[in-house]
Amino acid sequence: MSEDSPLDSPEGNWWDRQVNRRETIWLGLSGAWALTLFGWMLGWSEFGNQNQVGETYKVPPEEFQGKVATFKQNAGSRTVDGEEVLVPAGEDVYVGALRWTWDGLPVVLEAGETYAFHLGAYDVQHGFSVRNEDNLSQQISLQMLPGYEWVLDMSFDDPGTYHVVCNEFCGNGHRTMHSKFFVR
Amino acid sequence: MFSTFEYDDDGFRTCGVTDLRIHRSAERMVKLFGVTAIVALAVGGVFALFVALTRWEAVDLLGAADFYQYLSVHAWYLLIFWMVFMEIAILYVGGPFVLGRKLALEPLAKIGYALMGIGALVITYGIWEASGQALDMQAPLLTAYVPLESPPSFYAGVVVFLLGAVVAALPFFATIWREKRENPDRTLPLVAFGAFATSIVALEALVGGLITFVPTFFWRIDWIPHLDAAWYRQMYWIIGHGSQQINLLAMITVWYFLTHVLGGAEVASQKVSRVAFVLYLFFINMGAAHHLMSDPGVGLGWRLWNTSYAAYGAVVASMIHAFAIPAGLESGRRRKGQGGGLFGWLWSAPWKDPGFSATILSIVLFGFLGGITGVMMGQMQLNMTWHNTFAVPGHFHGTVATGTTLAFMGLGYYVLKLVFGRNWVGGILATVQPYLYAGTMGIAVLMMMYLGVLFGVPRRHASVMDIPGAAFSFSPAKPFFAVFGIAAVLAIVGGALFVLIAVGSLLFGDEFEGQLDIDDRAVVADGGDAAPVHEHSMRGTFVLTLVFLATFVVLWALNWFLLAQVWQVGP
Repeated sequence: MSEDSPLDSPEGNWWDRQVNRRETIWLGLSGAWALTLFGWMLGWSEFGNQNQVGETYKVPPEEFQGKVATFKQNAGSRTVDGEEVLVPAGEDVYVGALRWTWDGLPVVLEAGETYAFHLGAYDVQHGFSVRNEDNLSQQISLQMLPGYEWVLDMSFDDPGTYHVVCNEFCGNGHRTMHSKFFVR
Repeated sequence: MFSTFEYDDDGFRTCGVTDLRIHRSAERMVKLFGVTAIVALAVGGVFALFVALTRWEAVDLLGAADFYQYLSVHAWYLLIFWMVFMEIAILYVGGPFVLGRKLALEPLAKIGYALMGIGALVITYGIWEASGQALDMQAPLLTAYVPLESPPSFYAGVVVFLLGAVVAALPFFATIWREKRENPDRTLPLVAFGAFATSIVALEALVGGLITFVPTFFWRIDWIPHLDAAWYRQMYWIIGHGSQQINLLAMITVWYFLTHVLGGAEVASQKVSRVAFVLYLFFINMGAAHHLMSDPGVGLGWRLWNTSYAAYGAVVASMIHAFAIPAGLESGRRRKGQGGGLFGWLWSAPWKDPGFSATILSIVLFGFLGGITGVMMGQMQLNMTWHNTFAVPGHFHGTVATGTTLAFMGLGYYVLKLVFGRNWVGGILATVQPYLYAGTMGIAVLMMMYLGVLFGVPRRHASVMDIPGAAFSFSPAKPFFAVFGIAAVLAIVGGALFVLIAVGSLLFGDEFEGQLDIDDRAVVADGGDAAPVHEHSMRGTFVLTLVFLATFVVLWALNWFLLAQVWQVGP
């Protein structure tokens, strides 16, 4: 067998052996591509409109549940599509996930306004998976953890119905966990 | 066990195809772990059928409780048991076989095997107990995210299994240790070096898993009052993704091994390929951070850091192998006069040999389906559109099912022939099998990704066309589900065919005489052109990798375009 077999020990000074020119070019391309990927991501965090970045607070689940209750008390109400839904009193929206329902939803929001979503879970981990009913590929998912309150700004330009499903497995009733909010 | 080979007085024999000196001790253990892996593949494959036919809601086979239980079995048997048993076998091939040594500390291999086996059975029992009726008896799936409670036996089984895998890896380390003591100046062959890198990544993952699952077991039996959900997620992914990095490194080692043995590949550059393995050692386990990209527990800096230096260090390593392996095949075949023109080295290759075709299909599909998508969802912002959608299982079926599983099937064909000494049964079916499995699984994977990213269909749901109590459904996605369902069922048939050929060959296969009857002259050619391998043209590979890079760039741009359609999130 030749010394270039992967099953034999290479002889002599294999480190200094020449590398094929095309392999060298490929190494350069790979490095440049990796830097591009990183640079773009960094740039988007500065200039892009979609960054899942916000303050996180350690809050016991009971305390967070209290905050959601206060939010609901202070909220007004309005009828949308024959349904009684909450109208947030300010720019804060509280969403609490629990097996197997959504606390704080449904709400109606104003298009173009910026809201601070406070996301948290009461019992186990859940997933805040939101999509525009009219355009299913307009969708995002965020993790919700018990013991953590995540505050994320969101602003919706397209009026419509936004459906929320849980997409972190949370037990047998997981798939029944659905709610929505409206943008008007 | 089932063997047709005889050993000399020292317990060695020389393989007529690879020229490797193989000791009985290592060969026995390769057979034991290899056959067990195939049993796990068979079990996991049966459960795959139930999972696929439930997600394809035209059939809607299982209710929710059963679905989560079946999905847990499917995940543990294929992502963990099939893989890890096979990987221990690969370590014993990459160490003792390649170095021509006895397996050091053989009793430890047996103890490790017993612990892994017991652990696997206890995990299975734990999943079986997880009826889902009580809130603390939920199916674990793969992740068992705290504080969702699964049966205590499940966590105990995981601890035993991980411990067993650590013990089973020790004989490999001891073999390398003895080799280096006796031959301190001899460089490890590339395949042994790859196996060594695999074992280090494996140890990091397994020890991380023990550090995670021991306290989790204590929490479940109330010895520890509270575990933090964010702590668990960060710790869990050391083993959760780390175990899949073992697959990656083992698979790449197998690629180097099989392209050489079956296609006449040589090492294009020892330096470049080894540096790529070392890059993995430094970076790939950190890359597991991409699971926390849409989590509240970690900040922007942490996420960007871990998706930059860590992930891209590993991405560059993978791109190096993506060139080095086909380049080794190309230049090796050119050197032996088997490649004219741009792609002559490919046209002349032994495509009827299932070991060879499985290897090449694995390389191509892993790169295009698994690799590219892994980078997509590892970009912090893009992760929002991928996280926990059906596209995530799409990604890891691209890596594990079309990538690693295919490579391991290719290896399995030659374990049957060169280790068990059996010819394959089934005639042309063995030739067809890799194409059937790769083609249909590839389509299923594409559908899963479309469904996840374009329709936002969640993973881990028993039904999305009928969400109980909701008027909303994902019904526009139905046609994609139909294609997915049919492709998935055919892929399972393709997988079952492999198991049938393997078991049939073991029981009924003719004795393998020690000569390959394939007509590939690159493998049997002696010497060839005297010029060293790096002086032979790699232009075919260069064209192929440029196509790959172009696909990468286009898919990347499409993903960002899609993200830009989403409403404003964050500051």
